Amino acid sequence: MSAASAGGGGRWASTGYGALFYLFLFGPLLIMTGTAFNSSSFPRLSPWECFTTDWFGVLLNDRRLMDGLWTSAGIGLGVVLIAVPMGLAGALALSEIAPRLRAALYTVLITPVLVPGVVLGISTIVFWGQVGRALGMPTTGLFFDGVFLTIAGQVTFVSAYAMLIFSARLQRFDPTLTEAALDLGASPGQAFRKILLPFLRPAIASAAFLTLLASFENYNTTVFTILADATFTTALASKVRYGIDPSLSALAVIIIALTLIGAITHEAVMRRRAAILSGRAARSRLYGHPAGRLAVHPATILALLVALAGLAVWQGSRYDSSACRAGVLEERRALQEKLMQEQRARMRQTAPAPAVPTEPPAPGGNGSGFGGAFGSGLRPGGSSAAPAPTPAAPSPAAPGSPPPAPGSNPAPATPFGGAFQGIRPPGG
Amino acid sequence: MSALAAGLKGFAGRYGPGVALFVGIAVTVWVVLLITLPQLAMIDISLRGSGALHGGTGAGHTLSNYAYFLFGPNGQGNLFDVAILLRTIVAAVAVTLIDVVICYPVAYILAHVASGVGARLMVLGLIVPFWINEILRAFAFRIIFGSTGLINGLGTSLGFLAHPVDFIGADVALYSSLAYSYILLMIFPIYNAVEALDRNQIEAARDMGASWPRIHWRIVLPVAKPGIASGATIVFMLTAGALAAPQILGGPSSLWFTQLVYQWFNEAGNWPRGAAYATVLLVTCLGFVLLMMKVFRVPIGAIGR
Repeated sequence: MSAASAGGGGRWASTGYGALFYLFLFGPLLIMTGTAFNSSSFPRLSPWECFTTDWFGVLLNDRRLMDGLWTSAGIGLGVVLIAVPMGLAGALALSEIAPRLRAALYTVLITPVLVPGVVLGISTIVFWGQVGRALGMPTTGLFFDGVFLTIAGQVTFVSAYAMLIFSARLQRFDPTLTEAALDLGASPGQAFRKILLPFLRPAIASAAFLTLLASFENYNTTVFTILADATFTTALASKVRYGIDPSLSALAVIIIALTLIGAITHEAVMRRRAAILSGRAARSRLYGHPAGRLAVHPATILALLVALAGLAVWQGSRYDSSACRAGVLEERRALQEKLMQEQRARMRQTAPAPAVPTEPPAPGGNGSGFGGAFGSGLRPGGSSAAPAPTPAAPSPAAPGSPPPAPGSNPAPATPFGGAFQGIRPPGG
Repeated sequence: MSALAAGLKGFAGRYGPGVALFVGIAVTVWVVLLITLPQLAMIDISLRGSGALHGGTGAGHTLSNYAYFLFGPNGQGNLFDVAILLRTIVAAVAVTLIDVVICYPVAYILAHVASGVGARLMVLGLIVPFWINEILRAFAFRIIFGSTGLINGLGTSLGFLAHPVDFIGADVALYSSLAYSYILLMIFPIYNAVEALDRNQIEAARDMGASWPRIHWRIVLPVAKPGIASGATIVFMLTAGALAAPQILGGPSSLWFTQLVYQWFNEAGNWPRGAAYATVLLVTCLGFVLLMMKVFRVPIGAIGR
């Protein structure tokens, strides 16, 4: 009784914990996806301005990123071509040598995964630079080339990923298969090509995929080894560091969509294989019927998903948010106008005696009085992002009030900037 | 070496000399040309004076770059850089502990509670965020925690925050992002270890009246220990060596040690000093990991399994 209730409680607790955990895992992705479709030029969800697909266009027109994409693709190809065979060699060596030496070799080969990427990057360019100089190579030579150095640096640790995959697969290999082939008269080369390699084929595919991804994603090593060039990831990083806009969210949406398509197709392939292997497929009516068989075939599912994505892209490219954006702009202008009117009325009330020239500002004024006036005018509006305390006294001749520092964010640099910052469009 | 040769000989007998040659050459190139020599080159240049600014070999060897790290430009002690190193290590330990706490229950659920479609969906859900670029993950946390970000926007408009909180300056965004980024690398080693546990042991302990905390402490945790050690090592090393997330999410006043390395190397153009700082980082991190393994009695072969 108590055990049953504990089990039930445990199940509830684990369900609740799992839900919270996946909320943490997916929350950032969902938020990022949402910001990709908001026309606000800072990536945000709340104030929602207009639904737009323009950020995808901005992304595709980013020359630096797109150039980096091609550089990354070349590097990725090179890394896969070198790291997969190298990882295979490492795994084969580990499976073959004496146990005592195996631990040592394993430690050496796995170290690059643990070593900080910064260290790998620095050691790579220093080493190849020294080799190049020792060979009397000009500084335009191969060993001073960003793409070559990046491939060399990435292969060092990416090969270890491939090696781990091959090692896991090799552990399930039955060596008597090779013995049998040799006994039946196969040459050693044939035994390798016809027995071991086919057994490793799924591992080769996943190793190639993982190494490509690792190469593409890598930042820490690449940012050193790429020198003056830029890969997709380093271009992305410099973009994020020096000012962010929602086109990065659009990129995330594209990556998430591709991942989901890939994951669902992979799942379909796995299910089909399991169904066929277990013999369930032969009995099931779904697989028995030609139409049903076609419907659950992974290729059909992939085609369907690609078609859906294509439709979304087509619809998105035709969507025009300019009317809505103009509306938002108009709304802001109206609000601004209203605030200015209120301000003028208040200034007339507070300082009635001298004829205060509110607009245009007095020739001798440095404009800060104007900014101060808006600052004080905005505060009663109850705006959340209150500007920094600018002089509240709305006197135009405020000689002591310094002009707002250009770098300080909350202080409005221009009256317009200040006014815009205070306004929250409705519905946000 | 002789053992290696014997291994290769066995290989040649089974798969032919061509394969043995390929394995021998590939592993040698990897170990010597890609792993060992570059590390030695880095240590070598870190021992050169400023005559070797851009990778050239200046006059003889000197310890001046390491002395600079410890004692600063005028020999009075370089509290600033040493403090950054310590802070990086402490923060990496904190992120690692957070990940252990978050991931241990998930790994246990995945291995022993969930089943069938639910378990497959859970694994899929773990992998999807990991596919997203590291830079974009940091970017997402900037959207959430920025001064005009989601939490501050919601908080101020709903009224439970009087004024925006500086999450970036307080490094909340950075730690969350780092913990988020390496969750998968913590869960899979723990999962692999816990999965090997025989469920009957849990049932038996429960039948004999053990409470859930006691079952986990006495039965599940000992089995999970190698997995936790493996995951914690990977997460610690990656966190301490992270560069992108601190660059994007770090507060203006707080630096990660990798950023110092980056500054010396790329911005100041002082390769020897950058290499010296990188060596300091490497030695400190590896030393710390080895120390922890000694303390918790975990063999190094457990890593990555």
